[in-house]
Amino acid sequence: MTDERSASGAGGVLVVGGGISGLTTALEAAEVGKDVFLIEKNPYMGGRVAQLNQYFPKLCPPSCGLEINFKRVKNNRKIRMYTMTEVQSVSGSAGMYQVTLETRPRGVNNNCTGCNACVEVCPQERDNDFNFGMDKSKAIYKAHEMAFPMKYVIDAQACDKCGKCVEACRYNAIELDMAAKTMTVDVSSIVWATGWNPYDPTKMENLKYGSSQAIITNMMMERLAAPGGPTDGRILRPGDNKEPESFAFVQCAGSRDENHLEYCSYICCMATLKQITYIRERYPEARVTVFYIDLRSPGKYEKFREKLMADDKVTFIKGKVADIIAEDDGGVTVVAENAVTGEKVHAKVDLAVLATGMEPAGQAAAAKVGVDMDSNGFIISDAGKGMFAAGCAKKAADVVTSTQNSTAAALKAIQASR
Amino acid sequence: MSEGMRVEPDLNFIKYLKSAGGDSVKKCFQCATCSVVCPLSSDGNPFPRKEMIWAQWGLKERLAGDVNVLLCHQCGDCTAYCPRGAKPGDVLGAIRAYAYTHYGFPQGLAKMCSSGKNFPLLLGIPMVLIGLLWFLSGGMHVPSVEIFKEAGFGHFFGEGKVLGGLLTKNVAFIDLIFLPAFAFAAFASFKGATAMWNKMSTSVNANQDYRPSAKQFVTEFLLPSMVETLQHKRFNECGTNQNRVKGHLPLVLAFIGLFIVTNYAFIVKDIIGYFVEGLHGPIAMGNPIKILANISAIAMIVGVGILWANRSNTEESQGSSPTFYDWFLIGVIMAVGITGLGAELIRLLGIPSFAYFFYYMHLVSIFMLFFYMPYTKFAHMVYRTVAMAFERYRESGFVIKAD
Repeated sequence: MTDERSASGAGGVLVVGGGISGLTTALEAAEVGKDVFLIEKNPYMGGRVAQLNQYFPKLCPPSCGLEINFKRVKNNRKIRMYTMTEVQSVSGSAGMYQVTLETRPRGVNNNCTGCNACVEVCPQERDNDFNFGMDKSKAIYKAHEMAFPMKYVIDAQACDKCGKCVEACRYNAIELDMAAKTMTVDVSSIVWATGWNPYDPTKMENLKYGSSQAIITNMMMERLAAPGGPTDGRILRPGDNKEPESFAFVQCAGSRDENHLEYCSYICCMATLKQITYIRERYPEARVTVFYIDLRSPGKYEKFREKLMADDKVTFIKGKVADIIAEDDGGVTVVAENAVTGEKVHAKVDLAVLATGMEPAGQAAAAKVGVDMDSNGFIISDAGKGMFAAGCAKKAADVVTSTQNSTAAALKAIQASR
Repeated sequence: MSEGMRVEPDLNFIKYLKSAGGDSVKKCFQCATCSVVCPLSSDGNPFPRKEMIWAQWGLKERLAGDVNVLLCHQCGDCTAYCPRGAKPGDVLGAIRAYAYTHYGFPQGLAKMCSSGKNFPLLLGIPMVLIGLLWFLSGGMHVPSVEIFKEAGFGHFFGEGKVLGGLLTKNVAFIDLIFLPAFAFAAFASFKGATAMWNKMSTSVNANQDYRPSAKQFVTEFLLPSMVETLQHKRFNECGTNQNRVKGHLPLVLAFIGLFIVTNYAFIVKDIIGYFVEGLHGPIAMGNPIKILANISAIAMIVGVGILWANRSNTEESQGSSPTFYDWFLIGVIMAVGITGLGAELIRLLGIPSFAYFFYYMHLVSIFMLFFYMPYTKFAHMVYRTVAMAFERYRESGFVIKAD
């Protein structure tokens, strides 16, 4: 066990989560001179944003934004960054927390240059979770094209320790018997930037996710449209790789629903509108139908919505999809009541996209160390305890709001550690 | 509908709905999940999404003429899937309770039957009426065990014959109480159902110049609906509350069984009994009709017991509010079953005093069940059947051609 303690009384900050919110918090705190421990559960930084094809509303790729932040992290000696690392326990109180962290073995050390020789010889495959299982990677893999840190990683479950990669690696970068590490850090305050998970679509029984490959989630759509995704950015139907001629977007799939997520997930309307632009770019003739309760495109996003609503290839139907039927030709029929005409709509489409919402991802971690959460699992900031929430750990939010409240969390963490 | 509709909400109606089990109506945000998950909702005329907003807006006239409200079997799928806990199934139940009062004739009696506050009156009227006739008949005394064993309840309203020997006194009194009560309930139901049919016809703009004949009405619309009801076809399509069929089906069969038994008794005792002596005692236990009666009585108690348990479960699991509308019917049917079977068992045990009391309460509960039928939940027997007939009518050439 190693002890990596910041100088006693120096008032370091622990940031849990290395997505856009965690990165922002860590940088804001470090750039005014605080010591920061930035930990990330995944083998790469960037979180959900790294999985996106484009941001709304400017439609720039996530490399814009993430890369600048990665560069700032690299150049800042105040930030100590650990991937594959989670909080084990927290003791002490505000101003003097001792936090025990555990780092899972990556199997690859800092010698890695990202040459890919190991992947070429690896005989084992795994479902690629970065692409939501729509393709496979080898047991040793690079998390994604712009992974930071640019180090490969071994999936311990998939690896059979055959040793071929060790032979292939010219840099002695692979350690198959690398062990987990724990360490304890002393910090004054903790910022939870634990982000979100897409809500599990199998929980909405009536939407029958899993009954057809033509039912995907909006995050899968991001990966299908992304240049580094399973289809290299062509939007093809999983399974048969058909180029879809018609799409249906199922809004509020799990959100604003007492039986699932009782809150509005805030981003799904805009994500859908954004994804329609992906479709219009690739398939100018495709027909798109959006089923919604209300369209929520607050503030400056109104213009984005207006532009798409004027598009004659896109139909908006007020009425929530409550049934999806798998069809023999590989497509699906979505069923809703059009609340304006008062008639049921059966729309047969090649691909149905469930606009699933955000479920706070830090619930288990927060519960383990006794952090306060609201009834939906969002973390409640408590200045007295020196515990703060940032980004989507605090509330369902878009990237702009997340970076704003992350900056705010950084300021509060600094104040609490003085 | 979208252009220039002026909504004039009836606030008292909304208040009534909230008190009658529809307290969640205002939670609805019109997502229309309910209309899709409802197994009974059709493509061209889905429900209950639009009924929910009409209810929120207090459009009682529109709801009173809406066939969907009565086609709803309260399966509970809408309530289970509702993202807001608006419980559309319960709201439609409350609208039905309102509709029975709305169409009830006479209005005073219908209104009296719509509120639990009046329960003492609803119970008191038949108790006093039957009690008074019992007193006047001269039969109000406990018979000896021997006479009771032989005559059963045959001397309940006294001995001897009336109307020049045409009827026994007992039969005459029973006929005097129940024939007018049944006739009145039938007339009130007819009036209510006719008013509803006309209202519904207006709401779908049916062509009034081209209407089905009575024969067409019965053969094309009414009979198929009655057959469908007996088969419990729609009930079986229900998802969430599907197990209600297990209670409702035995109950319906019990009512049919007891209807046959009553008619048999009526014909044998009141008509054949006029010519043949000795038919006025209790029917022998081995008689097929008696067996049918006993099986029906048990089926009735079991059936309503299942519905009772089901309703309790729904109130617990889905948070439905307990309503007078639901519990009055369950309670009265249970009372009919228990007092009837109880009177018979105590008669067999040979305790006249208790038996007479049970028999008296049996008459009271039967009176409550049928006399109040057109205004209580029992009215669904008439109104839903007519609504299902109307649904067939709406889909038929009579209406489509009128559009």
